[in-house]
Amino acid sequence: MLEVKLHDVGEGMTEGEVLHYLVKVGDSVMTDQPLVEVQTDKMVAELTSPCSGIVKEIRIDEGEVVQVGTSLLYIESDESVRTEQKLHVEMNPVSEMKGKSMNNNEEKALPMTYKRVLATPYTRKIARDNNINIEDVRATDPSGRVTEEDVFRFLKGIQSTEESVKDEKQTVFSQEIPDEIPFKGIRKKIAEKMSKSLFTIPHVTHFDEVNMTNLLELKEQMKASGESISIPAFLIKALVISLKEFPIFNAELDEENSRILLKKNYHIGIATNTESGLMVPVIHHVDKKSIKQINKEVKGLTERAIAGKLQPFEMQNSTFTVSNVGPLGSTGATPIINYPETALIAFHKTKKQPIVNSHDEIVIGHIMTFSMAFDHRVADGATAVEFTNRFAGLIEQPHKLMLELI
Amino acid sequence: MVVGEISQERNLIIIGGGPGGYSAAIRAAQLGLTVTLIEQADMGGGCLNNGCIPSKVFAHAAAKLSETAHLNSLGIGSSEMIFDFQKLSSYKTNIINQLRSGVESLCKENKIEIIRGKATFLSVDKIGVENGHQFDIYTFEQLIIATGSNPITPDVRKEKDPRFLLSHEIYKMDKIPEHLIVRGQDYIALEIASSFAVLGAHVSVVIDGKIGLPFDESLNKELTRLFKKRKIKMYKEVDFIAKHETEEDITITFISDRNEVETISGSHLFVSEKRKPNLEELGIIRFGIELTEEGFIKIDKDMQSSIPSIYAIGDITGGPMLAGKAIKQGKAAAASIVGTQTEVDLTFMPVVAHTIPPVVSVGLTEQNARDIGLDIRVSQFALGGNGYATITGKKDGFIKVISDSTTEIIQGIHMIGEGAVEMSGSFVQLLEMAAKEEDIIFPHYAHPGYNEGLLEVVEGLVGQAIHTSPMKKKDLTKIS
Repeated sequence: MLEVKLHDVGEGMTEGEVLHYLVKVGDSVMTDQPLVEVQTDKMVAELTSPCSGIVKEIRIDEGEVVQVGTSLLYIESDESVRTEQKLHVEMNPVSEMKGKSMNNNEEKALPMTYKRVLATPYTRKIARDNNINIEDVRATDPSGRVTEEDVFRFLKGIQSTEESVKDEKQTVFSQEIPDEIPFKGIRKKIAEKMSKSLFTIPHVTHFDEVNMTNLLELKEQMKASGESISIPAFLIKALVISLKEFPIFNAELDEENSRILLKKNYHIGIATNTESGLMVPVIHHVDKKSIKQINKEVKGLTERAIAGKLQPFEMQNSTFTVSNVGPLGSTGATPIINYPETALIAFHKTKKQPIVNSHDEIVIGHIMTFSMAFDHRVADGATAVEFTNRFAGLIEQPHKLMLELI
Repeated sequence: MVVGEISQERNLIIIGGGPGGYSAAIRAAQLGLTVTLIEQADMGGGCLNNGCIPSKVFAHAAAKLSETAHLNSLGIGSSEMIFDFQKLSSYKTNIINQLRSGVESLCKENKIEIIRGKATFLSVDKIGVENGHQFDIYTFEQLIIATGSNPITPDVRKEKDPRFLLSHEIYKMDKIPEHLIVRGQDYIALEIASSFAVLGAHVSVVIDGKIGLPFDESLNKELTRLFKKRKIKMYKEVDFIAKHETEEDITITFISDRNEVETISGSHLFVSEKRKPNLEELGIIRFGIELTEEGFIKIDKDMQSSIPSIYAIGDITGGPMLAGKAIKQGKAAAASIVGTQTEVDLTFMPVVAHTIPPVVSVGLTEQNARDIGLDIRVSQFALGGNGYATITGKKDGFIKVISDSTTEIIQGIHMIGEGAVEMSGSFVQLLEMAAKEEDIIFPHYAHPGYNEGLLEVVEGLVGQAIHTSPMKKKDLTKIS
């Protein structure tokens, strides 16, 4: 009999909700046939059958939330040889081995410096590309080898030691919501993240407005010439240009080591409203992408977010987050920073307003307000104003964006 | 000297066309940069013109010549093999020219501009290039220094003596020396000793008794044994006394590890040199570039120096003076200039000597592993038990593997024997992949082939090598 356990589908999840079974007891199934849909923190994942055989028993009811490692159903395999094969990825706390052999080595004051990284070159590349020091990643493999999964888990910031702390916070929040709405899955994840951010970061929000008239005109001109680019793509590009000049807002405070990490990658998170709640898909390496490419990615990511089809890597590693609430309305907000980033900007509704132009005439302008929250431990108000002035300058005179083309 | 009025603008400039410099240039061009490379002598640098390549031509010739007896037993050739040194010299020159023009055309095909001349820094974004009476000024956005290193002439060589040779001179001699004294124990010295001994010289090797040979102790012993078989006498020096020369010969006197005064006279003397960075003439020091304690350019993990627009790679950055390292760093510098995350980890860079037979060493030696307190098991597989080695008459040598007995992760693989250089690719990959014993035992191996030795040495870790006698297996467990 082969157990099908809830396993970590690659984003460092610790639990999941069984949404529904795609098979029933007695069904015969093929290898890789989807068996059950599970709601994780941010997405719906399908668990597939490890073998061909017959479904013997379903252990967990639909709607139940279970820990990773829990057996969901049992299949009698066609090949009895494979019976003992295990599907799940063990979530062993910490590998003792690595600490033992390596740290002890380092302690011995030997002339030879031997620092071996127990990970394949490809795994090392994943870590490198994400600005992670592979030596900081804990191995789940008892022999101390760091796998790709370990790196992804590290990326999500879910290291096993933090789990107990999180559980406490979860209970606090369940008390705040007294009715019958289940507090789990994405909703719970949002809550955890937001509270962590707000409890940790002293937020300051800075409001300003930007004249969108020229940009809207440019957009129309482009549309007329057959290129349809939506406004967020321009905003994101202008933001990244400004971020490169004010890298402090593309940073992460590493309090433990008393340092601020100025990120060299410009991965912009796009806060997206979906039926299941807030999701933040990420456009990676925006500084190396054209406005056209950004436009295409925003569209693709938003669609996949709404459809709940985002891949884990599409939600990871953002360095700065944008919340485009404009289409929904609003004139201001005090948004919460996407921890551990340093700043977040919310774009509000663009409205027609009377403005005074350079000839001192009152004309109709398109004005968008925005709110930028930033971490006051890392940056100060004056810098934030300089930053948003630079951003507004690029948007008000969008031809300047051309100067920044790579 | 005519000083140009106008400075020309360049995107990326690389100073030095050695393996590091030209690899950086080609990679940068592949990544879309416009590249200018400045070389004052020959493209290919020390490696192609004076080092790796000429030494390997000699090692190859020597390896072939050493097969005379074996070829005879196959019914090939006569008992007296002809060896014409002049032909070998011109073969060497042809190979160097051929490889150099290959590098030059690759640069051309990658649209790399090559400027001949000597570069000096005028500021942190400007260099002058001097070529005879011409002096041109270039400004750059980024620059990679890849000017390499040069031997430090030992104190004992006061004036140039054609019989006292350094590594860049020895393969340019016009005849095989009668009696060559080789002083040194690095791979360069060992290759020289091995090649020249087979090519007809009488060779004496004097190694530093305190340092010893550079490999795992069992390999050092085997190499010493095989050298002895070739009548290469090896001395261990603990204290140098003097060198003097007469019309006829050069004599060195030293105290050996047996505490005896030894005197060796030879027709020629080779001395393994220390190397210094080709740095001073660049004129970059005055702009405050940070140096290491040893006086090389200090770089960070992105190959960037303390001056952000300037990168440095290869010998000029210190550490092991190996072309392979320079090539790796060159590619990393190009990648980091375009903003990619890079990493150069030298942990598993193989140590290689093209001796006869060749020696390679990757990862921890048995002694290293014990020193750092690993709980290890060790296995050694003699190539005498390898069918293919028997066919080819290359039964000398063995493979040795060290693994962590708890995790079964391979910690080091070492080989002395035919095919070692090619096999080292697998050794490095296995270590980089953090392979366990089973990762070597499970796959299939070409049969018959030297590669089966790798399988057997790992099987031997648990006493299961097929072609090792159980008696020897017992002995091995004693060792480990």
